[in-house]
Amino acid sequence: MFCYQCEQTTRSQDGDGCQTAKGICGKDTTTSDLQDLLAYAIKGIAQYATRARQLGKTDPEADAFILYGLFTTLTNVNFNAARFTTLIHEAVAIREQMKELYHTAAGERGAAIEELSGSACFVPAKNHDELLQQANLSAILKDRDTQGDSIVGLRAMMLYGVKGVAAYAYHAHVLGYDSEEVFERLEKALDFLAEEPNDLNELLTANLEVGAINLKVMEQLDAANTGNFGAQEPAKARISPLKGKAILISGHDMKDLHELLEQTKDTGINVYTHGELLPAHGYPKLREYPHLAGNYGGAWQNQIEDFAAFPGPILMTSNCLIEPAPAYRQRIFTAGPVGWKGVRHIENHDYAPLIQAAKALPGFKEDAEEKTVTVGFGRHAVLSVADKVIDAVKTGAISHFFLIGGCDGAAPGRNYYSDFAEMTPDDSVILTLGCGKFRFYDQDFGNIGGIPRLLDIGQCNDAYSAIQIASALADAFDCDVNQLPLSLMISWFEQKAVAVLLSLLSLGIKGIHLGPTLPAFLTPEVLAILVEKFDIKANGDPAEDLAAEMAA
Amino acid sequence: MPSIPYFSVGYAPRTVHAVFSELTFEQKVMSHTITIITNDQQSIQFECDDKQNIQDAAEAAGHFPPAICKSGGCGSCMAHCESGDYQLADYSAGILPENPEETQSILLCRTFPQGDLVINAPYAADKIQTHQPGAREATIVELEVLAERTVKLSLQLIADEENGLSFAFEPGQFVELEIPELNLKRAYSLANTPNWEGKLEFLIRLQENGVFSNYLKHHAKTGDNIKVHGPAGTFTLQEQSINPLCFVSGGTGLAPFMSILRRMEEWGEDHPVQLFLGVNNEQEIFCHQELKDLQDKLPQLNVNICVWQASENWSDYHGTPVDALAQYLQQTQIQPDIYLCGPPPLVESATQVAIQHGVDADKIYCERFA
Repeated sequence: MFCYQCEQTTRSQDGDGCQTAKGICGKDTTTSDLQDLLAYAIKGIAQYATRARQLGKTDPEADAFILYGLFTTLTNVNFNAARFTTLIHEAVAIREQMKELYHTAAGERGAAIEELSGSACFVPAKNHDELLQQANLSAILKDRDTQGDSIVGLRAMMLYGVKGVAAYAYHAHVLGYDSEEVFERLEKALDFLAEEPNDLNELLTANLEVGAINLKVMEQLDAANTGNFGAQEPAKARISPLKGKAILISGHDMKDLHELLEQTKDTGINVYTHGELLPAHGYPKLREYPHLAGNYGGAWQNQIEDFAAFPGPILMTSNCLIEPAPAYRQRIFTAGPVGWKGVRHIENHDYAPLIQAAKALPGFKEDAEEKTVTVGFGRHAVLSVADKVIDAVKTGAISHFFLIGGCDGAAPGRNYYSDFAEMTPDDSVILTLGCGKFRFYDQDFGNIGGIPRLLDIGQCNDAYSAIQIASALADAFDCDVNQLPLSLMISWFEQKAVAVLLSLLSLGIKGIHLGPTLPAFLTPEVLAILVEKFDIKANGDPAEDLAAEMAA
Repeated sequence: MPSIPYFSVGYAPRTVHAVFSELTFEQKVMSHTITIITNDQQSIQFECDDKQNIQDAAEAAGHFPPAICKSGGCGSCMAHCESGDYQLADYSAGILPENPEETQSILLCRTFPQGDLVINAPYAADKIQTHQPGAREATIVELEVLAERTVKLSLQLIADEENGLSFAFEPGQFVELEIPELNLKRAYSLANTPNWEGKLEFLIRLQENGVFSNYLKHHAKTGDNIKVHGPAGTFTLQEQSINPLCFVSGGTGLAPFMSILRRMEEWGEDHPVQLFLGVNNEQEIFCHQELKDLQDKLPQLNVNICVWQASENWSDYHGTPVDALAQYLQQTQIQPDIYLCGPPPLVESATQVAIQHGVDADKIYCERFA
């Protein structure tokens, strides 16, 4: 096992990366190796899909499998080793279909058939021990001795970015929004990786292309969410429980939430969001369900305490799952790409077992004192008062915008973001997105001429909304986004955040503060390039960083 | 890792130590640090004196490693001592290997430390409970004779405020059933799957002079109340293994496997499974139809009912499940994880057969009838 795809990966003087029997996230060696092997097999699908597509042939099953398969390999998604052996064999079967499609298309067009190698020829062993030995083919560090850490790190960053793109595209896909352009570019990116590139500049360019694909995907997911549930509107979300039977739904998947709300209609069961599903309360068509009772608990890393205390079943729809504690292992269910061996997986949105569990479990015995937070400041809401905001900037009522966005996590250094938010001056506006906000989302920051100082834009993928807001402001002030009084304080944890970071870089956005620690896959050499080109900054002391940003 | 005070386990507190420090107190109460490392590389640590067994010391410190009889009779607290000196008190024959000191096999309930010990436990950390769940009340809803000397006992839990009707257990675990008025308590594996209706099901062999058997035969009736303690036990599927599964059961040793297979069917799991069920004669066969139904729903499941004294008409396996296991291991290309449940002699001989056929000892998981 070697894995350094997330922020919490082991850091040591002997080298960064999790390489013991179990990673920090809880994934064991077998699962980690099989995940690498699945990504390898998926590259093989992309090799043929790219070529078949050039000849006018596509296969929606293969496109969808790429999204789903890569999503299962994100941090804190699927820990079920047996599931990965099945997926590897499925991936190879789909690759063979794509190979046939390519060969047929080439035959029809009279085109020469390229003989492909590497992932395209991978034959998974039937014996499990031998299959695990094959993980050497896909090991992240396999070319370290010949290519060096920077090439290996850039390949890894690109793969992780692709995983993030695939995860966002999967969320849009389940809501009925696909894009052939995205599939084409994503498969090309995987095909490029399958060739095991070793040119640093080419890899940097390819990484930025992943960011550009992700912009398109976030736009698609924005369209999927607003198309299905209406544009986000500012709304109060209750964060204290109500008496009665209860289901908690966590992760990111709005489709799962919508289906659950439909199936629990008129059952008397209240549905509570958790973590990155808090922004659901801003979507009008989801708010129409009176039993969408509120949000319970904080960010993902607190789930052991939150889930243990919740008196009903829990549905985990996507990242971030951590090892279910015995206290709730029997009443947590997984859906979509998520999995933990011994935890019940729900297929096809059939929530009957979850509803049965909610009826059997005690639920909340009484109403807690009402507490609320306001969510729903997506691009539509913010831009609807754009004139007011622009005036406030012009008159000096608003001096600065801080986007404090991204993931939360368990690392003590993440209090940087709450410290930073608390220190921001009263004439500044804080925009949040992702689960990092849970460290300060319930504080009263006041308002500036009726505009709340704390505006939550939504989930991490609503970085798209943030970009739209920034672009609109830049247009209004006839300047570049980089010239706006805007600071980006980005906290990253997993691969969706890598994709978002690459998106920001692909737009040429400079001066991003990235923390709480920099990715282990960025070598000093690559970091120096990113600093030179994009002025990326590591977190320092929050007060000093704030002063520097205000002075800039 | 929890921090355990030095004198936490049934000893005089530090102040007493100070008072008696001139009086060779150390010789009177030698406390040793016990570290239990679970198979997922987690550990717990607590203190234990040389006159206390490790199970008791762990429980006194708030850790509850799996154990049923706590008197050396069942083997459920079996572990391996990696380092340190200890004394092993008497235990039932066949529970540990013949020369347990060679493999450093121990029973937590029969082990008395002579120094600090590091112990490897063959289960994950989540099997060590931090509290013992309180007893639940249940009502007998059915007592059905399935075959010669085998009954199915079905219980309905009574909802309580804390849990409602939920009763969390993992397939393969057992509970203890208590009849307080008869001062009677016995452990049985659950044969059904975890559910939200408070239903519990057991397969019980009626022993000739068994006390619980007599209760079931002569006194138990629908509507009677039984106390349910637990769940407990580590005879559950190794979650992260991707090897095929091979289940060997003697008689009602089928119960935990029924629970596991029923859940596989409920969840639509596709892990390959070979099941051997051993009985003495055809009259003793039970759950036959249900096993056939499970086979229909789980194409990757192969069931062999092994009849020791079979009639000529018997079309499935003639012989013991251990013989059947030997043949299976000879033919199979991929080494399975082997799960054994039944009387101790069956478990021991099946273990030997598996090891003779090259199966790693740490891929063999056992549950013996106590």
